[in-house]
Amino acid sequence: MNLVKKTNTQYLLFLAFLFPIMMVVDYFFIQYIVNSEVNEILQHEQKRIDFHLSKQGKLPTSNYLMKTTPLERTFDTIPEFKDTLFFEGYAGKQIPYRTYSFTTSINTRPVRITLKHVLLEINELIWLLFITTSFITLILMVGIYFINQKIYKWAWRPFFENLSKLKKYDVTQKNPIHLKASKIQEFEELNKVISTLIDQVEKDFQNLKEFNENISHEIQTPLAIIRNKVVLLLESENLDEKELKRVESIYQETNKLSKIGKALTLISRIENQEFTRMDQIDVHTVVVNILSSMEEIIDFKNIKISLELDAVSMECDHILGDILFTNLIKNAVQHNKKGGTIKMRLTDGKFEIINTGKVSEIAIEKLFQRFQKGGTAKDSLGLGLAITQKICEIYGFELQYIRDTDTHMFSLFFANKKVLNPSN
Amino acid sequence: MKILVTEDNVELLKDIKSFLEEEGNICEIAPDHRSAFNKIGIFPYDILVVDITLPDGNGLDIIKAVKRENIEAGIIIISAKNAVGDKVHGLEIGADDYLVKPFYLAELNARIKALYRRKMYNGEREIRFNEFKIKPDSYEVFVNGHLLNLTKKEFDIIHFFVVNRHRLLTKEAIAEHLWGDDIEMADSYKFIYTHIANLRKKITEKKGVDYIQSIYSVGYKFTDRE
Repeated sequence: MNLVKKTNTQYLLFLAFLFPIMMVVDYFFIQYIVNSEVNEILQHEQKRIDFHLSKQGKLPTSNYLMKTTPLERTFDTIPEFKDTLFFEGYAGKQIPYRTYSFTTSINTRPVRITLKHVLLEINELIWLLFITTSFITLILMVGIYFINQKIYKWAWRPFFENLSKLKKYDVTQKNPIHLKASKIQEFEELNKVISTLIDQVEKDFQNLKEFNENISHEIQTPLAIIRNKVVLLLESENLDEKELKRVESIYQETNKLSKIGKALTLISRIENQEFTRMDQIDVHTVVVNILSSMEEIIDFKNIKISLELDAVSMECDHILGDILFTNLIKNAVQHNKKGGTIKMRLTDGKFEIINTGKVSEIAIEKLFQRFQKGGTAKDSLGLGLAITQKICEIYGFELQYIRDTDTHMFSLFFANKKVLNPSN
Repeated sequence: MKILVTEDNVELLKDIKSFLEEEGNICEIAPDHRSAFNKIGIFPYDILVVDITLPDGNGLDIIKAVKRENIEAGIIIISAKNAVGDKVHGLEIGADDYLVKPFYLAELNARIKALYRRKMYNGEREIRFNEFKIKPDSYEVFVNGHLLNLTKKEFDIIHFFVVNRHRLLTKEAIAEHLWGDDIEMADSYKFIYTHIANLRKKITEKKGVDYIQSIYSVGYKFTDRE
């Protein structure tokens, strides 16, 4: 529920609550006013009649006169008001009247005079009240709605503009966010808090980026030194076989570490969008070149390659495009068996690579995560597909994986391009 | 040949220096930008090995200065930054080769020798080792004057061996030399193993001595020493 709906609903609920109260209060109030007005009229008439009697000795014509009752003897009764119903033939129903009885004398003969005045009918009164109250309520509602709308448009506009800016904000893209200023103090405070938060997030992100880059970069020189020393150690003739084995495993682990460092550097560089070129790459040529660079290994493993490649181009940084296809093809070669097959099909916007291989133990949903390696390849780092996935992510490509018992198929959909950093 | 290595990490510098000197080169070192400039100004070098990130400046400036002064020297960039931009830029301003850290010293050695050969002899020089004669430009290897019938990768292996004779070449170093960093995989080692076996057969067929020694499972050494 949005803000304007929420406030309007609250107002409406309040009016709905107010409506019967207004009706009841008005009812008694109006009744009181009408009664006291009628009382006044009747008392006024009494005075007029009394005046007439004392001057002329007979009753004046009066619209309010109901009856005069001669009294046996004079006794002062207190004038009294009474509410009664009289049947009126013309209306065909009972009509409420207020009567007023007082004692006076006509030519020294005591009489009791009763005056009457029509009252508002209760039904009519309720109707009247209902209509007027409804009318007032309606006006209130319409007024509140428009005022709200206006407040919403005017006062909340910077808020909503900032909200949509924040929705689009992405810390990985280097677009600074400019929040719209507001004259309303609370919004200004909110803007300040958000700006501080964003500054902090950007600083942290920057630090993290630099840390990632530095750590994987800075370890390379020490690793190179360790590796050189280990090779020297391996060359030395004073080691026995046991020692050699240990040094050899130091060597291999150092190599692994260095490769992990390189792969992670690559991933963080892709994440940092250091590859911003948009090249038209000829996928056909890229695939053929990669295959020829792996030719010996493919022949060595006696893998049959079948190609169905259309001339298709793809838009991305040529380095990343190369890495993307190299990783996919390398993956198909590496996890293949001797005498296996690789089928590649390239059509517009779609590249499929199907290879034979052993049954994979990795759950499909974990396949693209870092450091997931198949049981068959001890030496693989499990970073190849993570890199591939990262490249797909930044270009909005889609990579699907399907497997049968011993065939694996990757489908790359590269038609749905996402424009990177349009402002840069 | 005379080589100047500019590299800020002293330990790495020492390793490179001792490796290159064992190969019979004169190797001078410069741990920073300033001393590199000083040395280049005074002594002539055949090859400059330059690290891009130096504590007091950028290695690319050294390359620019060398080109500006028309100093005849081959330049190899070594950098921990595997940034393609750096590589392209370095080669554009006149570097001859680019090597990403961490590299194998044997690889640096092979690159230096290849560059030296290209620069000094216009690539026409043969490499000789006992009964072996290698013509790098026509990818030919002769044993006792007989041409060996080798595949491209077999040629690369024997060439790499002869250039780095007497040195331990690990499987990883050979794989990286043959395929570069990106394509190398577990099967590469089996491939190398098989092809070295083929090489041995082809060499002994031509009455050559099989100088390839296996060093446990680590790698190989091409040597006539015991």
